[in-house]
Amino acid sequence: MTDSAIQITLQQAAPIPLSVQLECKSGELLALVGPSGSGKTTVLRAIAGLYQAQNAQIICQGEVWQNSMQNIFLAPYQRHVGLVFQHYALFPHMTVLENIQQAITHLPKQQRQAQALELLKKVHLEGLEQRYPKNLSGGQQQRVAVARALARQPKVLLLDEPFSAVDQVTRRKLYRELLVLRESLSMPMILVTHDLDESNLLADHIALLHKGEILQTGTPDFVAAHPKSATIARLMDQQNLFIAQIISHDQTTKKTHLRWRGTLIEATYQAQFAINERVCWMIQSENILLHRRGRPSNGNKENPLQGQITEYMESSGLAHLRVQVDKQLDTTISINVPLHVAKRNALGLHEEIGISLLSEGIHLMPYQALRSES
Amino acid sequence: MSFDSTVALEKQLRSPLCACFPNTPVKPKSCAILSGIIKPSLLSYLLLILFTPILSAAEIPVIAAASNIKFALEDIATSFHQETGKSLRISYSSSGNITRQIQQGGPFELFLSANARYVKQLHQQHKTLDQGKVFALGRLALLSPINSKVMLDEQLTGLKQALQAGQLQRIAIANPKHAPFGIAAREVLQKQQLWDTIPPHLILGENAAQATQFASSGAAQVGLVSYSLALAPALKNRVRYLLIPSSLHQPLQQTAVLLNNAGDTAKLFFHYLQQEKARGILSRHGYTLP
Amino acid sequence: MDWQALALSVKLSFVTLLFLLPIGILLGRWLAYRQFWGKSLLQTLLALPLVLPPTVLGYYLLVAFSPNQGLGLWLVNTFGTTLIFNFQGLVLASIIFNLPFAIHPMQRAFAAIPREIREAAACCGMRPSLVLWKIELPLAWPGILSAMVICFAHTLGEFGIVLMVGGNIPAETQTIAIAIYDRVQSFDDHAAAVMSFSLLLFSMLTISFTYWLSARSERTHD
Repeated sequence: MTDSAIQITLQQAAPIPLSVQLECKSGELLALVGPSGSGKTTVLRAIAGLYQAQNAQIICQGEVWQNSMQNIFLAPYQRHVGLVFQHYALFPHMTVLENIQQAITHLPKQQRQAQALELLKKVHLEGLEQRYPKNLSGGQQQRVAVARALARQPKVLLLDEPFSAVDQVTRRKLYRELLVLRESLSMPMILVTHDLDESNLLADHIALLHKGEILQTGTPDFVAAHPKSATIARLMDQQNLFIAQIISHDQTTKKTHLRWRGTLIEATYQAQFAINERVCWMIQSENILLHRRGRPSNGNKENPLQGQITEYMESSGLAHLRVQVDKQLDTTISINVPLHVAKRNALGLHEEIGISLLSEGIHLMPYQALRSES
Repeated sequence: MSFDSTVALEKQLRSPLCACFPNTPVKPKSCAILSGIIKPSLLSYLLLILFTPILSAAEIPVIAAASNIKFALEDIATSFHQETGKSLRISYSSSGNITRQIQQGGPFELFLSANARYVKQLHQQHKTLDQGKVFALGRLALLSPINSKVMLDEQLTGLKQALQAGQLQRIAIANPKHAPFGIAAREVLQKQQLWDTIPPHLILGENAAQATQFASSGAAQVGLVSYSLALAPALKNRVRYLLIPSSLHQPLQQTAVLLNNAGDTAKLFFHYLQQEKARGILSRHGYTLP
Repeated sequence: MDWQALALSVKLSFVTLLFLLPIGILLGRWLAYRQFWGKSLLQTLLALPLVLPPTVLGYYLLVAFSPNQGLGLWLVNTFGTTLIFNFQGLVLASIIFNLPFAIHPMQRAFAAIPREIREAAACCGMRPSLVLWKIELPLAWPGILSAMVICFAHTLGEFGIVLMVGGNIPAETQTIAIAIYDRVQSFDDHAAAVMSFSLLLFSMLTISFTYWLSARSERTHD
């Protein structure tokens, strides 16, 4: 906690319930992820000082920005924050250059223009100094917004769904630019997004927010692979979520045995759950092996299942399959394989295939009712 | 460097045009504040300074007069100015209204009322220097537009006939509530037994002048108004009129009184009113002299 | 044309504007940005002059500032002056009577500025007064200017209140509207016609200018 550049604690019951504890190190990007209405923007605005939470403590690079107990609250203009708004919020009556210059308060007037031009160059917008925001494309406006946020020499960079209003092609370009820009920035960055792919791509850490509460924090991969609860797994868009019952724990083989609808499944040793206890379990697609037709291998031996492909979709070089495993089990497992693998194995609708669930990929969570399971 | 100077030059050219000319494709910037708000404010300060000399006529004393005496009083004031070089500002309204204004602290130094009663009232309220002086007697006239067919006679029989025949819709008098000429008109109508039947046909002028204006313009077919106003040069050839005998109403004692804050000019004028020149003017304008 | 009355009217309009400009900006801005208990009551009060007959307002001003009692008496004792039957009284009445005409357009103009833009300005390090100067006023100026123009024209045409609270004193409270009334009663139709027509022309110009301004600001703000 102590070597983080920014530490945020927000507790509030009303009017917007908040239960948040976050931190972020310099040079790192933290993504605040969650469905719409989860309070992500509120948290961001609280960090910027645009929203005053009731019980809060915000300390950034040694400065106390808010401490409810000591009645300290710095207004946004007293904090050095760079905030990139969702709809950019550029000043419509000023040119691009003037927009950026507004944030450069620490330099005398003569040097401001040069500094602003520098920043424009950094976001690849040279030549557009005299344009008005009205005459810029979405992507260009976003870059100006970023330049203006950086012009403040902020102690933390905040981005509020900055890519949501642009088309996909532009978005990919902006992702790349942000990643490059990151290298040269030494402040903590907090990005709000509801797009999991975006957070996976850009973030060092994510914090999952649901109804104002931080449910889990960690690296994107870790949270995706080890959600603490089925709710989190759902929010992380995990498709393969099921209910099973613990049969036994074997300490020697380091395995836990589960019964899933009549079938025996072996998972890695997770002894925190009691025998006969019902649990939720999940497995990611990357931990499911496809049995190659005509070329059996050892991997086929782990939790083998036979099934029929009930859904088959191709997109972006991947084949997305849903496999109904055994007639008795009326649930489907979702897996994605590279397209060439699907082609080579002649996969398609109604094809019979075998799959293996790798035991190290089977992650157990406390029981809660799932809507898809009866 | 040349790029910077071009930018600077562009800025220089654009700023005065900013908010003033609709066709220049420039956006309002901070200079818009200059054009939109500061400039009008500066302009207003300028105008204040310019106009104030005209308005330092604030030194000239104000007197209040009943509106029936307007034309006579203007001639007297002109004559006064010619003889003494002093000017006056005159505020006209009904006597009752002026009385109210004086009670509420109006800045008048002399009051020329159309009757004595209001002056007595003010004197009792210690607003005046003394009891005042009757300087003229007002007269009433029947007045109608020049091409009107209503017969004008002292007994008002022509009026009664026109009323019965349905030809007379409206008759104008000053408001008896606060205009002495209206009170006198009411007395005349009562004496001629018209007061009971007349109310639906009455238009009340706010003061003697407005009543006259109603009648002269044809808004009312007939008016029972101040004789002095009927004689007004502006109405020549536009109206017909008949002088009403003074026996039909209480005397309209035009009373002048100096108020508590009366200055030297006002006092001078008060005395001027009672002298020969002024009396001559009053007589010419249809007032009887006491 | 009674130039003295016209000059007086113009002076009254400008002086009223001088007061209404800051009052309008501050109140209009406050109402645009804040929610608070009693806001609708305040807005009702501020809108009253729109529907109130001028004579009602005139009556209350006369009662309030009559030098025989209360506030009026205190004014006489403290400053030696009153606020009726003089130019200052007209200014006060004019300010009150024009409040909704000043505040409503300005309030709308400020409310039209997206909140995010003001927040972005704050995040750029601008303190609130600077945000007002550099961001809000430049964006709201068409509404402010149009409010000022309407107030100017409205003041020029005030009659009922001026007559009640001002009396009819030349060079002090005889504005051009009163002068027209005065000329009609003096059977001077020519003067009345000249002044009326001038005011009519001026009002038309004012309205056209206001419409042009709002059309322009719509274009500017896409």
